This record gives sequence, structure tokens and C-alpha cells, in this order.
Amino acid sequence: MRRMKRVRRISSREDIFVDTIVYIVITFVFLVTLYPFYYSLVISFNNGIDAARGGIFLWPRQFTFDNYKAVFSNDQLLGAFFISVSRTVIGTIASLIATSVFAYGLSHKKLLFRKFYFSLLIISMYFTGGIIPYFILLNNLKLTNSYLVYIIPSLITAWYAILFVNFFQSIPEALKESAKIDGANDLVIFGKIIVPLSTPIFATIALYMGVYHWNDWYSTAFFTQNKRLRTLAYILIDLINRSDLTSILRGGTTQKDVAIAMQTFTPETIRMATMMVVVIPIVCVYPFLQKYFVKGIMVGSIK
Amino acid sequence: MKKLNYGGLTSRNKIWSTFKEQKYLQAFTLAGIVFLLIFAYIPMVGIIIAFKDYKLTSGFAGFFTSKWVGFKYFKEFYNDVYFWPIIRNTMVLSLLKLVFTFPAPIIFAIILNEVRNDKVKRVVQTVSYLPHFISWAVVAGLLFSFLNQQTGLINQLLVSLEIVDEPISFLADPKYFWAICVLSDVWKEMGWWTIIFLAAIVGIDQEIYQASIVDGAGRLQRIWYITIPSIKETIIVVLILSLGSLLGGGLGGSNFEQAYLLGNTVNYNVSNILQTYTMTVGLSKGRYSYAAAMGLIQSVISLILVYSSNYISKKISGSGLF
Repeated sequence: MRRMKRVRRISSREDIFVDTIVYIVITFVFLVTLYPFYYSLVISFNNGIDAARGGIFLWPRQFTFDNYKAVFSNDQLLGAFFISVSRTVIGTIASLIATSVFAYGLSHKKLLFRKFYFSLLIISMYFTGGIIPYFILLNNLKLTNSYLVYIIPSLITAWYAILFVNFFQSIPEALKESAKIDGANDLVIFGKIIVPLSTPIFATIALYMGVYHWNDWYSTAFFTQNKRLRTLAYILIDLINRSDLTSILRGGTTQKDVAIAMQTFTPETIRMATMMVVVIPIVCVYPFLQKYFVKGIMVGSIK
Repeated sequence: MKKLNYGGLTSRNKIWSTFKEQKYLQAFTLAGIVFLLIFAYIPMVGIIIAFKDYKLTSGFAGFFTSKWVGFKYFKEFYNDVYFWPIIRNTMVLSLLKLVFTFPAPIIFAIILNEVRNDKVKRVVQTVSYLPHFISWAVVAGLLFSFLNQQTGLINQLLVSLEIVDEPISFLADPKYFWAICVLSDVWKEMGWWTIIFLAAIVGIDQEIYQASIVDGAGRLQRIWYITIPSIKETIIVVLILSLGSLLGGGLGGSNFEQAYLLGNTVNYNVSNILQTYTMTVGLSKGRYSYAAAMGLIQSVISLILVYSSNYISKKISGSGLF
């Protein structure tokens, strides 16, 4: 039966038509999505002066690590790399703790004033003061021009708090009750029972937070002026807007270094290498963790 | 009288004892609430500076102590030389995205659903939403290198295929700006929103398809008469979401990033939008009240859009978000 249907399907002219369109479209999407990253990777491993001649599509013509060496030997870029890494680690951990603890309190059905707390949370999702009052707030809290502007304002995200609350509520009440009878307080219950049972939601939200921290250039651009607080994502924008190499290599490098540099790389290849440093961590964790990425949007769409 | 008092006392005592019993939970929650009050509610109060002459040095107190000026800054914005270009640019960019970025994931989800090889389907889908997790800073970098006039890949292709005689300077020519924004937005966000639509399609009862095959329906007919009508509700919900965030750039919410990162002095007359101008006026020039007024206009329009699209969808289909 199944076999017969299959035979009929393949012979249908409409089927061939639909399949052709479908495969053309998915091949196109597949290539158009991946090729830009692949191309950047190729260019980032090519000699800059040579790359400027064009004609490189699939493989580096003059293979070199110089671009990456330049990125990781430049004080400014290296500093930005460490700022990005540290804020991603610290920011993600801090916001996971803050958001989950807040959500655990809220998830308790008999919590006093629960309705009031919830409405404060929901209202904050739909109404915002806008960027200007927000900037004034950060400025008055002395957060502008401070490393803490990367950590503190993103501690609690209303939407993630709600995802946590939903997850915590799905944990059977009996588990908490029995722990309580054994004399555990809410702090212990949270640490010993709730957190170990909630690894999927922690993983999902850690990923979202991590990606946010790693990709964020906005806070750097608008809330800081100190060059030492620049993140890698922000440096990338800086590199787009700049075309003279000497200014990119400024900061620790000598005239001689610049002269040597001029022969091997161009702003273009440096930009590609920096871009790869930003993209590669995401691409590397992506295949393994993408199911967690998807979980977030699916949970959201059911609500 | 006496009895009532007594009763009030015990219930207060009861509340207090419950509160003490929940001391950890209350502490957890209140810490979060304090955070929200500071980072979400103080800025909401701060909106009043749109009607005042606020100076940054006056701090939080300045929200209340600075002088009322009524609608002065709203009038100034209306008379600003950039007012009409900004309105036009913001509207055009938002509407173009609604027209192109919104249907793209629906079409792609339907196409993906027609892929019979599950492995191919999964790989293509997984790849398609990778760009969602890439920063606009990177996407802008990719655009700059691909569209570069001298070394850009697109120009190399166009010239070698003899489609154009001279390389085009895409990023410096205002007439390409909107197309670049829309296409890069589709590139970045299509796969992500496909997840929702594909999930809706997968949820359709397979028996309906089986029955239609028995009735002799072809694949195109099945798509048209079963798949699309079955995901109508999902389409409407996502449409409301994207209408609500229309000014921000719809599903991707990328208007600001694109206009800020791809805008330059050459394409300023098309890339200058409400959000970027708010930033220029507010943060670069330090005119906070004026910028807050522009921000308020934007919030009010967004709110009206959310409510009206929700209302319309309730009228038409009987379903809405709230």
C-alpha cells in the first residue's frame, strides 16, 4: 500500500514540479545563509594585500595566520576580547541567579501579594520609559562609563522570569512539601531540589543571556566612553567605520610593526578575523545546543 | 465596632505571620521587585521630562523640580527640518519590512514542510536560524565586505557575469538602502520565525491530509486548502506581534541597528529614522527633553498599533493576544 502510493507520487507531474521548487529554494537558503560565514573565514586566513585583488571564493590563496596574530597581539583588540568574555561569563551567571531566585519566589502559589508582584512584572513588559529616561537613570546611578553597566541592568529580564516561573510551577508540589516536613527551609529547597530539576530551563536561558552579552554593542556605544570598556562586538563596528590601518594598530605597537603590518594585512582582513572571533564561539556551541535555543521560542509561543 | 477592630487585628497578625513564614520567598521576590522598580518604573516616571526642561545635572529630583514647558518640544519636533523625512523613512522602512519580512517565514515553513527527507529538512532548518544569533554588528560587517565597491563579492559577481559595467557602490547610494535593510532582515530572521510556523504545520491533524489524498487533492491543493487555513491563527498572532513592533522593524526589531550601522552621511536622507534621530538629539547633543518627547511619540504610536491590531483581529477572527 505504502509502496504503491510512493510510486504514484513520484510519477505525478505536480510532484516533480513541487519537489524541484522546494529543493531549489532550500538549496538557495542553505548556501546564502552559510556562505557569508565561510567566505569571511577564508578571507580571514588569507594574506590581506593578496585578498584585496579579489577572486578568492572557496579557499585561501595565500594562507596565513597573520590576521589572527594581529588581532590577538593588539592591545585594544585583546582587551576587548577579555571584556567580552568576562562580561559574558559574569553577566550570564549573575542574571541566571537573580532571575531564577526572583522567579522562584513568584512561582510559589500561596505567596502573599503575589498578584501585585505579578502585575508589576507584566506592566514592565508592555510599557517602557524609552531610551532617554533609561540613559538618565543609568547616569544617575553612576553606571555609565562603568563595567557594571554590562552586568547590573540585565540582571532580571521580565520575559525570562516568566519562563522560569512556568517551569518551576511544573515541578510537583509534593517534592517541596516532603522536603519541608523534613525541616528544609525555602532556601534549601531551592538549592537542593528545584535547581537540579530545572537544568533544561537554566540551559535555555543561560544561552540566551550568553548570546546577548557576547553580541551586545549597544551598551558600549551609548553608555560608555572609556576605551578600556570596549567589547569585541563594538570594536567590530569601529573597524567598519575606519579604513586606515595605522589607527587600528595604534595602542602599543611600534612604527616598525605598522610597517611590517602594511605588507601582510589590510583593514578588510583584520575585520574578517575579528568578525570570526565574534562568530566562531556561537557557531561552535550552536549545533550542540540549538535544541535549547528553540525551546525558548516554543515555550513562548504556547503562552 | 470593637469586634471589627479585633477582627482587623487578627487578620493583620495572620498576614504578618504568613509573611514571616515566607520570609525567604518574600526576600527573593522583593529583591526582584526593587530591581524592576528601579530599572523599569523610574524610567516610566522619567517620561515626564518630555514636557519639562530637564538638565542631566539635576539628577532624579530634576524629573519633578525642572520647569514645565508643556508641548514645547513636540511643537519643535513638528517644525524640525527633519520631521517629514524622518516620518517618511520610519514608515517606509517599517512597512517594507512588514510586507517582506513577515510573509517570508510563512512561505519558507510551507516549503520546508514539503521536504520529504527528514534529515535534509532538519539540517536546512537548523542552518536557517543560525543568523538569528549573530550580532547586527557582524551582519553589518558582512554587508560592508560583500557590498564593497572595489573588493566586494557581489560586485565581483555582477561585473564578471556582465550584469553591470561598473561596480556599484551599494552602501553609499541612497537608492539601495531600503532594499539592503529589508533583504538583510529577511536573511537574519526568516529562519527563526519559521520555527513557529513549522511547529503549527506539524501540529495539523494528518488525517485531514490522508482524506484529501483519497479525494484526489494534489500537493498544491493540499497546501492551499489545508496547510494555510490550518495555520491561520498562528499567522494572525504573529501578525499582531509584528504590527505592535512595526516602528521598531517588525519581527526582527532591527530598524535602529540597521539605520545606525548602515547609515552614513551619503544616505542620511533615507537612513535617518525616529530612533536614530532620538539618539543623535538626546545622547550626542544632550537635548534630553527634546529626545524624550520623540521617544514618547514613538511609544504612543506603538501602543495604539498594538491595541488596534489586536482589536481588528478579534473582530475578524475572534482571536487576539489579550
